[in-house]
Amino acid sequence: MSHTNPVAIAAVSEMKPGRYPDMDGYDLYIEVIRQFLAEWSLKPSDIQGLLACPSGMAGGGSNDIFVHEQLYEELGIKPLFADTMNAGGSTYGLMVQRAVLAIQQGKVDSVLCVGAGKFPKVSTGGAESMARMVSHEIYEFPYGTFIPALYAQVATRHMHEYGTTAEQLAEVCVASREWALLNPDASTYGGEALSVEKVRQSRPIASPFNLYDCSIPLEGGAAFLVCSEAYAKRLNQQPAYVLGMGEFHNHRNIHQATSLTDIGCSKSGQQAYAMSGLGPNDMDFAEIYDAFSINPLVFMEELGLCPQGKGGEFFQSGAARPGGDFPVNTFGGLLSFGHTGDASGMSMIVEGIRQIMGIAGERQLDKANAGIVHSYGGMMSEHSTLILGRSA
Amino acid sequence: MSDLTPAAATPPAKPQPRITDCAAPYWQHAKDEKLVLPYCGQCDASFYYPRLWCPTCFNQDISWKQLSGKGTVYSYSVIYQSPLPSYQADLPYVLAIIELDEGPRMMANVLNCDVDKVRVDMAVEVLFETRGDMKIPQFQPA
Repeated sequence: MSHTNPVAIAAVSEMKPGRYPDMDGYDLYIEVIRQFLAEWSLKPSDIQGLLACPSGMAGGGSNDIFVHEQLYEELGIKPLFADTMNAGGSTYGLMVQRAVLAIQQGKVDSVLCVGAGKFPKVSTGGAESMARMVSHEIYEFPYGTFIPALYAQVATRHMHEYGTTAEQLAEVCVASREWALLNPDASTYGGEALSVEKVRQSRPIASPFNLYDCSIPLEGGAAFLVCSEAYAKRLNQQPAYVLGMGEFHNHRNIHQATSLTDIGCSKSGQQAYAMSGLGPNDMDFAEIYDAFSINPLVFMEELGLCPQGKGGEFFQSGAARPGGDFPVNTFGGLLSFGHTGDASGMSMIVEGIRQIMGIAGERQLDKANAGIVHSYGGMMSEHSTLILGRSA
Repeated sequence: MSDLTPAAATPPAKPQPRITDCAAPYWQHAKDEKLVLPYCGQCDASFYYPRLWCPTCFNQDISWKQLSGKGTVYSYSVIYQSPLPSYQADLPYVLAIIELDEGPRMMANVLNCDVDKVRVDMAVEVLFETRGDMKIPQFQPA
């Protein structure tokens, strides 16, 4: 983005994903902000804008569309730019994009982006309320929809068109678990490694997905501060620059997607590459929203990070694992880190920021000059791609 | 105490779609076991699902046209665990996207077929399942 003023993310914080039965979506928000303020030395005047997401939506809870008002009042700030916005899992990627535009327009020098999420337990009717939320009330839900089975449409079609196998899908889960075992905040940290056999032998949910092909439903949240370069440098010697960004809104209901193997990610990806002046070969790593094992596989292809139809071979090669040629989901992914419901779209952005800042602990990559972060909302419906880097 | 004998459990009814004004003809024809979709004369194309304008050209002069009811499986999943109480008795069942021979795609279950036999590109034909006082389109091997 050499033609515009650089914008960078200067501060980041994420709750450990878990079950927080005593907190509702709003309580989680307050805890996220408390933790963020404790970790970074900020004063109220450092936060000039605020973007939040309706909290507790996935949990069937408050679904408060005025949450930004409550949060800026609690913070004690009077922002020049604020909103509660929602685009499902792509909400937080789009928050970055909205914040960048507001900063480049000169409206504000900093925007706090914050999210907190609940996730219902599948057994308590939660899966039905989630299925109602993400499938067409009239033309899909009456056919017994279930989130894994909606994503599975993409997997089955990919297997048909390119010969991708269930074992190759399992390789995505194996790679994510290896990364999670290096991340003390991951819900599976300290647990066991996965193998292709273990994934394939776990109980079937919705073909081709077995239990371990599905992310782990938990709760949590995160926050980060998007800043003008001058502001960012004051807070952090190595902020994460937003070099490129793109968005694309493809469909709402999965049966309306024109193609299940070109589902809209390539469009947001191309915009992000064009803006950054970088290409797939310049990326050192990728952080990709992975509600199910198929997602990173399809998005690697759509983002041009491996040839079309070769996503399965890419993961089978071990390239995505620790020590591999092209690390993917270095925090463990939603598959092994945990999926925090409304806030799940935060986790891959948080990790991208940390890798660029060089604060990713044991899993810190040797080479992290530029990375790509892709998140989507709905049934792979709407897409946000960000390219983050160490220098503007 | 004999009146405390538990009644035989009746499975809950499967969801009955809400009928919107713009889709009334679709459901009315479905009752007669005909697959009739909205049709745009300007585009010379049927579309799914029913809405007040053609999503390709915004033409609001929509007519209705009966389709062959033939199609193929575009993609599918065999569901082994469902959150819907009304679908428990059907497990495992198939949730599919059907591509009609005339072009539009719709979601449906594939019925009257061993779940292990369902394949992408498999030829299917429409049938109608009764839900209360409605009938909804479903598909089975052709």
